[in-house]
Amino acid sequence: MAKVMVSMPDDLLAEVDAEASRTGSTRSAVMRDFADAALRRRRADRAAAMQKLLAAASPHGGSAAEQVKATRPGQ
Amino acid sequence: MTTLLLDASVVLAAFDPEDDHHRSANALLVDPSLTLTTLDLVRYEVANVAVRAWRAPKTVASLLAAVERIADDGGVIESTAALLERAAELAEQHTISVYDAAYAAAADQADRRLVSCDDRDLVSKALAIHPASVHSP
Repeated sequence: MAKVMVSMPDDLLAEVDAEASRTGSTRSAVMRDFADAALRRRRADRAAAMQKLLAAASPHGGSAAEQVKATRPGQ
Repeated sequence: MTTLLLDASVVLAAFDPEDDHHRSANALLVDPSLTLTTLDLVRYEVANVAVRAWRAPKTVASLLAAVERIADDGGVIESTAALLERAAELAEQHTISVYDAAYAAAADQADRRLVSCDDRDLVSKALAIHPASVHSP
């Protein structure tokens, strides 16, 4: 596991330390868990939003890669 | 956790049920275990195909919304001068367009795996993998 130095405001660090104390954890573990949770939530939000957008998919003949090349400038 | 860089063909294939890569491209976009990123060029390319090839300008909004969801996830990489210089090198080396090479350069720069439906210029030259290959062992 990599070791990193992180800069953060004193009041935010105090909240992280309070959370570590409350859960019997460490400052590193709390920050690791929060980062992991935030990234998971972000991926889940994207996946859910894509589900809705893709519900409107409709047939266009396929061959997307060829269509991209055919519609580039100069083609 | 895997982060993938998608080119325009993957986004377009996900929105076209007639595309050979539709199911696998769709699966990538809705997979919450993956972080997705792309290149700013993708906005022009998906809009261009929607208008000029699909003749379906109303689909532009959905395609660009999908790109924005990717932007909110792993981000959209900017085509900087340094990236395009690298793209020019790759284009010369692999005899491909700078457009295609720009995606490869972006993936290289961000240390991400490029995913594309482009057999001829990207997958066959080992610069990208197919959407279906992402979940293969």
